[in-house]
Amino acid sequence: MATDADRDVDGIDEDAVSWSDPLPAVLLVGAVLVAGAYATSVLDTAAAHLVAGRRLRLGELVLGPWREAALLAHMRRSTTERPDVQTWALAPALLAGMAAVAVATVPLAPGVAVADVADGIVLFGAAMALVMVGVYLHGWSSNSVFPLVGGYRFVALALSYEMPLALVLIAAALPAESLSVGAIVESQQGLWNVVRQPLGLPLFLVAGMGLASWGPLGMSDGTDLAGGTSAESSGGARLVWALARRFVLVAVAVTGAAVFLGGWHGPVLAGGLWMALKTLVLLAVLVGVGHRVARIRLERFVVVAWAVLIPLALIDVFVSGALVL
Amino acid sequence: MSRPELAGVAMWILGGSSVVAAWRVFRTDSMVRAAYWLLASFVAVGMVMVLLQARFLGLVLVLMMAGEMTIMAAFMVMFMMNPAGLNPMSMVHQHTTAKVAGVVAFAGLAFVGVAADFPDRPVDAASEPTAELGEELLGDSMLIFETAGVTLLATMIGAIAIAGKRGRFGNAQEGSAPPPVDPDAPAGPDARPSPMHGGHGGMHH
Repeated sequence: MATDADRDVDGIDEDAVSWSDPLPAVLLVGAVLVAGAYATSVLDTAAAHLVAGRRLRLGELVLGPWREAALLAHMRRSTTERPDVQTWALAPALLAGMAAVAVATVPLAPGVAVADVADGIVLFGAAMALVMVGVYLHGWSSNSVFPLVGGYRFVALALSYEMPLALVLIAAALPAESLSVGAIVESQQGLWNVVRQPLGLPLFLVAGMGLASWGPLGMSDGTDLAGGTSAESSGGARLVWALARRFVLVAVAVTGAAVFLGGWHGPVLAGGLWMALKTLVLLAVLVGVGHRVARIRLERFVVVAWAVLIPLALIDVFVSGALVL
Repeated sequence: MSRPELAGVAMWILGGSSVVAAWRVFRTDSMVRAAYWLLASFVAVGMVMVLLQARFLGLVLVLMMAGEMTIMAAFMVMFMMNPAGLNPMSMVHQHTTAKVAGVVAFAGLAFVGVAADFPDRPVDAASEPTAELGEELLGDSMLIFETAGVTLLATMIGAIAIAGKRGRFGNAQEGSAPPPVDPDAPAGPDARPSPMHGGHGGMHH
């Protein structure tokens, strides 16, 4: 079990130094995010077909996301009256950057982590808190009603899921006796956190769905708001925003796989493959739920989050703490 | 460049960014922009704390401020009745007081900065700031932090109980009603237009 003392001055694991060089680091994180975003779109199409009982066509499944992206990239961009142009353009960059920060803290295979810092879980929390700022600013900056409502809805949603999210992550850090994601993965050698802390993963997935504003918690960009924060975005801007939102979903799945599903632990297959498989399973769950469960009303979710999810997360922390003692 | 040199360069860039962002808070013309410039300043300060080996505190600062600045922006927009904070408005007021306060604060801090004899103790590489912080919070200073913490928690619960829709006095929405169209009619729940009048009482009179 690695503790903070085993790490060097910068809190970076010695084994991971080669991956913390700029070029491999950017390529690795970029590849994970792009592959994950592509997988999200494929899974989304597949789930829509399965739920509707339509036959899956391989060509549509594999090429569909690229076709959609190419179409958006070629579309004309529209604008609104007096938008905050810089903020509007930078909001997707903030989302994508924070998703990259989250992925960088996760060890993707034994010794393969860009920055397995000693306070990785806190870094994940800070990055995901800034996602709220990015979504709100994306809605605010276009100077239009529906995007603004989407932004405010997301703030209410984010303030509700953030406490359960932080609490289940703290609970997962307890058996590892460290805030580093690498140490949390190592602490699941014999027993995965999904078994040791049965409340952790479900609560994390609910919070993660809110974080990515996806499925039943798709508040910021819901179709009931004519597209919410992206109602006024078109062409390349819409494409970039759709990508950034998928990156956040991928960051949630990667972190969930490492923190609750044992990360790269698993028999026979190589560690990296296990990590990819577990991430895909979580992505499939996150995306699939959206096709089976209707969008929940925000007021109802806020009440449920504060009255049910936070107490459940507190029980998770207390029980996990008692087990460690 | 070596690690310490890089850290030194990063320190200057982050310090400069925090000052420039803080200056922009007062030069921008929107409350939402002002709130997020302040957040940018806090993020730079948080990263400086990370460079000073206070990683946990620096990251928690960013985590807390992201939420707090968003809430602050929402409340400022609500209180100022500036539609969505989109209309341009000045971010400065009480010019004379602000100038005097600014000059006095700058002079005081500058005097401390120049005159104080700062200790030069590089952080031990093997130290665990997060663990030390935890021992401080739950050790010697526990009474202070617990008193402050429980007081803040009680305040929060009290505020939610007062503001909640289903409060001690029942459902908040049931007590409110649109003002009567006829100025002589009594106000209150009974003044609500009856379904007989089509819900737009006064339109046909």
